[in-house]
Amino acid sequence: MKGRAAPAIFLGMPTVFLVGLFVLPLVSMVVLSVWRTENYHIIRDFSLHNYEVLATEGAYMTFLVRSLAMASAVSLICTLLAWPVAYGITLYGGRYKLLLTLAFAVPFLTGEVLRIIALQGLLGPAGLLNGLLLSLGAAPLRVIMYTNVASAIGLVYLYLPIVVTVIYLSLLNFDQRLIDAATIFGASPARAFFEITWPLNLFGTLIGFALCFIPCLSATLAPRFLGGPNGTLYGMAMAQQFGESGTWALGAAMGVVLFAVSLLLVIVVARLVDLRRTGFTGFGRG
Amino acid sequence: MAYIHLDGVSKQYGSVWAVDRADMAIGKQEFVSLLGPSGSGKTTLLRIIAGLERPTQGRVLIDGEDVTELPPHRRGVAMVFQEFLLFPHRTVYENLAFPLRMLKLPKGEIEARVEWAVGILALRGLEKRYPNQLSGGQQQRVALGRGLVGRPKVLLLDEPLANLDRELRQEMEVEIRKHQTDLGIPFIYVTHNQEEALSMSDRIAVVRGGRIEDFASRTAIYDHPRTAFIAQFVGRSNRFTGTALISQGKTALCDHGVRIESAARPDIADGKRIAAYVKNEKIQLKPAAEMPADAANTLTATIRYVLLRGAYAEYVLGWTGGEIIVSRPRSEAAFAQGAEVACFWNEADIDLFPMTEDGR
Ligand SMILES: Nc1ncnc2c1ncn2[C@@H]1O[C@H](COP(=O)(O)OP(=O)(O)O)[C@@H](O)[C@H]1O
Ligand SMILES: [Mg+2]
Repeated sequence: MKGRAAPAIFLGMPTVFLVGLFVLPLVSMVVLSVWRTENYHIIRDFSLHNYEVLATEGAYMTFLVRSLAMASAVSLICTLLAWPVAYGITLYGGRYKLLLTLAFAVPFLTGEVLRIIALQGLLGPAGLLNGLLLSLGAAPLRVIMYTNVASAIGLVYLYLPIVVTVIYLSLLNFDQRLIDAATIFGASPARAFFEITWPLNLFGTLIGFALCFIPCLSATLAPRFLGGPNGTLYGMAMAQQFGESGTWALGAAMGVVLFAVSLLLVIVVARLVDLRRTGFTGFGRG
Repeated sequence: MAYIHLDGVSKQYGSVWAVDRADMAIGKQEFVSLLGPSGSGKTTLLRIIAGLERPTQGRVLIDGEDVTELPPHRRGVAMVFQEFLLFPHRTVYENLAFPLRMLKLPKGEIEARVEWAVGILALRGLEKRYPNQLSGGQQQRVALGRGLVGRPKVLLLDEPLANLDRELRQEMEVEIRKHQTDLGIPFIYVTHNQEEALSMSDRIAVVRGGRIEDFASRTAIYDHPRTAFIAQFVGRSNRFTGTALISQGKTALCDHGVRIESAARPDIADGKRIAAYVKNEKIQLKPAAEMPADAANTLTATIRYVLLRGAYAEYVLGWTGGEIIVSRPRSEAAFAQGAEVACFWNEADIDLFPMTEDGR
């Protein structure tokens, strides 16, 4: 009896979780996307009109491309910054390792809005940075006042802790003695990094990258508070459909497109990366 | 002529000297074991030779070159680790090819050498597998192969058999020694297992508390232990203690009425506390009735248990001073549990050492 119930429970829980939190909302979003909204009312006729709008009105495509570029750049910067930080902690953290790891969670203790507003105070025209430059008699830095660069800084600032944490956890599970083995067998430290450390932490790095990339695509707050006139990103435009403009169905269609793009990216990455070559052992001994 | 020299090598961790003034000279064809209990500094010494640790003091020379300052990848040494440390994201073939790729050998040469390793280590058919698809014994052989393919100047082995079961271990002992002889390169083999050290080595360095207690041929280490620690640690011995009595050109002691008499030891003063060690297999048995009265180096005892160990019978005997263990070939007459026997041994088989303050 026990033998049969256990797998049912252990497979059942994630199933309920996935259906409840992922499949149902996704289905309702797809359904809503083929309906219409007029004057804040949902009208239930089937049409692909919303998708037509997204395909033909240039602005949406611009937002999507800009978002993809933004998310790529931000995730890349986060990954490049996170690696040395995480690696430094695993190597030299000593007995402060745990403390340092917990320290990454500190930014999360304040809300996202608060952190973005704080950053606005730092980067804006009268902000700390430009204020300092002005008081030193220098010209203010225009690139960080309500620009895409400012948005990017904001997004890096928001997601860097997540990427560091994920890469740190990956490195923590990585057996550093494999580097000893590689150097004994003739690899220089740099060679050992690219032969051993990097591939064996690629899986973790990709997860860190994705956990930055995907929320960046749908980011609303950073572009809104820091981005300025040419800074509208896809997620921000999508949020507007559900807010001010009241065009929920169009917003849902945007959401479906975003999901499809994200899914496509995951599939492409999964095709390009052979998990076996990252030391992933989840396939068992088969 | 020595090929590897350790010259006063020491390593300090905090206030602990993990290795303390180690001096060794190892020949080009030699199989040397570092034998010592866990925590005695064997791994640290091996890692210093490999270049993975920098000695606090002293120098390491390989083939006449001072390599103390050289990083591991420039030393041309190889290592087999207790935990194997195969690259989990590489196949058996790629693991074996790794040292060769680092040497930038041409592709054909790499293939030929991997093929050679696959052949001598019976790994054929496993080339495309990943390490987690191999048994412990197979992983060990890949680790050994990875150590041999690059024709290193020396192969360092850190308890390579500790994770294998007994039978496999004995098979691998033969194999390891065979490869060492065939390749003619020095092997430095770390172990806490005296049987492994004795079975394979030419010479054994007994390590204790970071110091090399003795470095001599395996027969010398076994037959003529230089210190009480070695007598206790190498082989299996029975220990008797008492005060030294010097008379008639002999050094003797009395333990619970048993007189243990060895050749004169001028270095031991009369009245000093001493310990005598007699190896299990050096004690002989005969029926108690045949025992001559009052002879030295004999005692009467009762057989408590008999353990059968293949070619040997191990007798656990009770006597007035406690328990002794005697190991006899099965070809000799057997004694049954409960039998009264006389135990006796030769003067030459006694190892005498003065005891230290702590009674050891
Ligand atoms: N990296 C290190 N930091 C501090 N102490 C160490 C380190 N490595 C080894 N030691 C200490 O040095 C001593 C010898 O260790 P080790 O060489 O591993 O012994 P063995 O291999 O003989 O078991 C031990 O007391 C150990 O705790
Ligand atoms: Mg060790």
